[in-house]
Amino acid sequence: MLRAETKPAPSLKVGDVAPDFTLQYFTGSDLKNVKLSDYRGKKNVVLAFYIFAFTGG
Amino acid sequence: MKNFQKNLQKLEAADTQVLGVSMDSPFANKAFADQIGVTFPLLSDWGGDVTHQYGVYVDKYKAARRVNFLVGKDGKILEEQLDSEAIDPTKIVDACQRKPLKD
Repeated sequence: MLRAETKPAPSLKVGDVAPDFTLQYFTGSDLKNVKLSDYRGKKNVVLAFYIFAFTGG
Repeated sequence: MKNFQKNLQKLEAADTQVLGVSMDSPFANKAFADQIGVTFPLLSDWGGDVTHQYGVYVDKYKAARRVNFLVGKDGKILEEQLDSEAIDPTKIVDACQRKPLKD
């Protein structure tokens, strides 16, 4: 087995407060804002960071 | 992203919103979402501010690492999955289902 190159752990750890942000996505007709803190007290949120569009995973 | 799509019903049933994040433009992300059949938002971190803020920027790729964060209703991080581990979201799906939402 090849060992994957070790990379540092992200600076955020389990138990830390997730930094708030506002980002946009395109609905097909409009750009819509999504603010992380809008989900506070309402829903869990999965943030799935990925490398680039049109890549696997 | 496709693996989250497969688990989307379970996640939604557990009161969980899935958001993809990359440094692509919103338009590239929309085209990508359509191509792979993803119905949750793929957010555009154009410029990478949020990617840096979350500590997941990789110089070598000039882009984000593959990382999943599960953020609870209190705004705190409940689970983290890194790199190849992040391809299969089972751990996150299980965590959402384990935490029947007390509030």
